[in-house]
Amino acid sequence: MPAFPRSLILALPAVMVWSAASAADWGTLKGRFVVNGDVSDPAALTIDKDVEVCGKHKLVNEEVVVAEDKGVANVVVFVRDKKVTVKPELEAAAKEAKPVLDNLNCRFEPHVLFVQAGQELVIKNSDPVGHNSNIATVKNPPSNNLIPAGGEVTATFGSDEAVPAQVTCNIHPWMKGWIVVRDNPYAAVSGPDGSFEIADLPAEKLELQFWHEKAGYIGEMTIDGKKETAKRGRMKLEIEPGENDLGEIVLDAGLFK
Amino acid sequence: MIITTRLSLLALLVLLPLASGCGPTPPASFRLNMVEAISPSAEKDSISAEQALTPAQEKQVATILAAMFGTPDTPTCLPETGLDPAKLVLAAGPVRSDIVGRKNGLYREHCVHCHGITGDGMGPTAAFLNPYPRDYRPGVFKFKSTERASKPTHADLYRVLHEGLAGSSMPSFALLSPVQIDALVEYVKYLSMRGETELALMRYYFELDEEDEGKLPETREFLVEEILEPIAEKWASAEDQEIEVPEMPEDLDLAASIAKGRELFHGDKANCVKCHGVTALGDGQANDYDDWSKNIYKIEEKLKTLADSEPDSEERQWIAEFERVLAGDALTPRTIPPRNLRQGIYRGGRRPLDLYYRIHAGINGAPMPAAKGTVAPEDIWHIVNYIRSLPYDFDGELGADRAVAAQPGPAGRLVATQED
Repeated sequence: MPAFPRSLILALPAVMVWSAASAADWGTLKGRFVVNGDVSDPAALTIDKDVEVCGKHKLVNEEVVVAEDKGVANVVVFVRDKKVTVKPELEAAAKEAKPVLDNLNCRFEPHVLFVQAGQELVIKNSDPVGHNSNIATVKNPPSNNLIPAGGEVTATFGSDEAVPAQVTCNIHPWMKGWIVVRDNPYAAVSGPDGSFEIADLPAEKLELQFWHEKAGYIGEMTIDGKKETAKRGRMKLEIEPGENDLGEIVLDAGLFK
Repeated sequence: MIITTRLSLLALLVLLPLASGCGPTPPASFRLNMVEAISPSAEKDSISAEQALTPAQEKQVATILAAMFGTPDTPTCLPETGLDPAKLVLAAGPVRSDIVGRKNGLYREHCVHCHGITGDGMGPTAAFLNPYPRDYRPGVFKFKSTERASKPTHADLYRVLHEGLAGSSMPSFALLSPVQIDALVEYVKYLSMRGETELALMRYYFELDEEDEGKLPETREFLVEEILEPIAEKWASAEDQEIEVPEMPEDLDLAASIAKGRELFHGDKANCVKCHGVTALGDGQANDYDDWSKNIYKIEEKLKTLADSEPDSEERQWIAEFERVLAGDALTPRTIPPRNLRQGIYRGGRRPLDLYYRIHAGINGAPMPAAKGTVAPEDIWHIVNYIRSLPYDFDGELGADRAVAAQPGPAGRLVATQED
């Protein structure tokens, strides 16, 4: 397929172009979010419930997590296009996968979790104390279940969510996490070093959306030294077959105040 | 300068009574949900100036709503809502009578003072009540026989109107006829569906594509099939979502059940103790909010973090506008105390069945989580029995936890004071 001259692809009937793209051309998108200024150190949380268990973890506010080298964790990147072509292998893998949200050390692990609509989400509690997970979904029915120590409950979202849904624990008011629910598997959450990767994207023009819990939809970023505006955090990108590395994506510290 | 200001003020004072006293009363109109219009995201932690609906978008929402739901004087409902227009006529509009012995405008006679013309829970008396009157617009109701996220059944709302809500300002309307209560229940559903449609429309601006140019599609496919029908469907299916309650075992040993319930209450599985407190006085958790207040609280916190934004910036104008909206279209957020279980007053009813529903499904819109799936049905009954014993229990935790010391009082008499 890569040997195909581009002009020839354009000359082919539309159906053939579509089947060609869905058959072979897939690209990986990656990048690393960094902040270009000082972000204040995360504040220690006040632990006033189950102090003997939760108090020993030195919990801090996780709204903004920035690494030593300025990498920004927990930035969400996803493909907006509702009718995006999904690689069949990914479709199959998504059905098998069971994303897990754990109540661990009196915080949510992971802090931001991606779940594809239709997947079975396991919400478990690895702590020796009871928790409840209050999930504020909008299109899906919201839920708030008790989860005893060592227990677990499951949840399945039938529809995507326009904005990530907050998860809280009413017993331990400092606990806050997020669930990103999308219709397709093309989403990623940046890791502790700020890097993210979305594999097996169809090689075509896609609309991406960038979100962070403090910044909301990220409207401005500098990619490759060039200032890009992303209205409502949206940006159209031509995905090429193979690797698409955005390099360092610089975010202004003002976004995280 | 001062004189002219005073003069104009005087003129205004003279003219005001005239303005309100003469001429026909302007027709009642629904208010736009301004808090959501200025921050349409469902989650209020990352709201920003650029989210706010433009005046054109606000107008579009108002126009669509008027087309779908009419006005407070002449409500309309599409067949998809499943609402009965005849009942709405009885409940809506100004208080009036067309047939001897029949009164229309029941909502404005009985409900509007607290729940407001739009059903936003912001009638003139609302700010003085604790708890605040229900805001119907999110379509969330607390006291019902259905699963947590489900709508209340018609019978659930009927019951709330008929019995009132103990411990709140909601009185019993048992003196109204069943037909009248029925009509009011229908009107509450109407206001809810209207409010939910409004929210759905405002939230939809997030999902518009560039090609939509900031306008919602005004097709039947979008407005009815995508927005209205899912809302109406939830109301229509409420009866199927009723909680299945197993009978309390007949040969139950009440003392043993209460003891078991007590163990569960304090145990790590049901965990009631964390919020309702060791004493069950409702003092375990003092700083949580219900969903209505939490939204406003989060907005206020967010605005505080933006206090240092540039003067004259777009953000600054948005904050100023938001402060005006909060002053006029929102009630001051209040924390929600967990129920004091020693009083024997339960908002949603004192029948064992009511308490079973509350524990099984939790309370929608409130912090109370659902025990469903975690606590077995027979254990829920044990907790119900324990809770029902609490108002009559003067020893137990109440005695043990609250150390009472005898001190000499006035005239040398011994009085008990609580040691903190």
